[in-house]
Amino acid sequence: MSLLGFFQWCEQSGIGEAIRKSAWLFPLIEAIHLLGLGLIGGAVLVVDLRLLGLGLRRQSVAQVARDAQPWLLGSLMLMIATGGLLFLSEAIKCYYHTAFWLKMTSLFLALVFTFTVQRKVTMADQTRLRPLWGKVVALVSVLLWSGVGIGGRWIGFS
Amino acid sequence: MQGRWIGLLPAFVLVLFYLVTAPAKAPAHMAQKSHEVGRQIHLISSESASVQWARLATLRNAAPLTATVEAGGDEAAGGSLLNFFRRMADSSWSVGLHESRYAYDLIESVHVWALCLFFGLAVMFDLRLLGWTMRSVPVSEVARRLLPWTVVGFVVMVISGALLFSAIPLRSYQNIFFRAKMIMLTLAGLNVWIFHSGIYRRVATWDVNSVTPKAARVAGALSLVLWVAIVLSGRMIAYNWFDCDRQPQPAIINFLTSCVPTESER
Repeated sequence: MSLLGFFQWCEQSGIGEAIRKSAWLFPLIEAIHLLGLGLIGGAVLVVDLRLLGLGLRRQSVAQVARDAQPWLLGSLMLMIATGGLLFLSEAIKCYYHTAFWLKMTSLFLALVFTFTVQRKVTMADQTRLRPLWGKVVALVSVLLWSGVGIGGRWIGFS
Repeated sequence: MQGRWIGLLPAFVLVLFYLVTAPAKAPAHMAQKSHEVGRQIHLISSESASVQWARLATLRNAAPLTATVEAGGDEAAGGSLLNFFRRMADSSWSVGLHESRYAYDLIESVHVWALCLFFGLAVMFDLRLLGWTMRSVPVSEVARRLLPWTVVGFVVMVISGALLFSAIPLRSYQNIFFRAKMIMLTLAGLNVWIFHSGIYRRVATWDVNSVTPKAARVAGALSLVLWVAIVLSGRMIAYNWFDCDRQPQPAIINFLTSCVPTESER
């Protein structure tokens, strides 16, 4: 199956069909998706602000990251579930929309970065790590996740 | 705490808008006949400076003089909020934003980005009050380190939100979700004020407790519910289900949106 074929299959799925037919479902799922965005933004920013030395400075980076972890994972799952439903309802539009591909690229990079590089840095012994690295990691994380959020918003603009 | 004054920001923005979109046409009662204007200009020279300024301001609002002719039938005249937003919608500022290819979308993106900063960190603080995260961190520490960022986020939210509103003022003003959002924003502000002037003053006595006092938990839960509802209703402003031009609507909807359907629409 070609990539476009897969997108067409998604568009024609029963779930996609049901969401398109309803006047309320899409707005409702989209609103929950937006709440998830706010939540994931908070969980990401708490850790990134700490790495930048601008947030909870008296706690260790590792502790802040551990506290934020369940909320990061929870909101990520909420985002993927609601985002998947939204995608099923308008897969063909997404296929031809630059913002969608920008978002998916940012999302892939953000996920890989967060769960490999950033996790290594936050869990590392901070006394043996140059503070500059923490700041660079935080900036990259903010940029990548911003790309995901803003890219997502632009899928809605034609 | 400087955050206490931040609640006045929406009012300040509203006043700013009023000045920017000052009435282009004079309301009927303010329109003057040309010979009266002439007399006023003559009188100005013999008045004190402050009175002169007051008169100049009146004159500027009354201009242009051609308004005298059409004043009777001008529906944008008058001092009601509806007419104020109608005038705003007619301003070149509003039309420009509304019709711009990218400006509106960019401001909307800033609004969504700032949502993460404001809502995300405010929720983190609420969750700490509820004891659902950062239980080993003192509440005052979370407040001191995170709340300044929510203030930054809130300022960006209000400014970008006001810009979005100014692009579509009349429709937004009569939008049921927008109205609900404004009411809940007021309630959320009230909740912040009650929390900071009440239980938070005694934070030293419960700072390190993982289970916070009931008043603090209630404030956190209220804040959480209100901000979630505000985000939801904000997202729904985009939908036109209850717009004035979609009649017939139930009477209660038209009452809540101050829509007055014409005879043929009923």
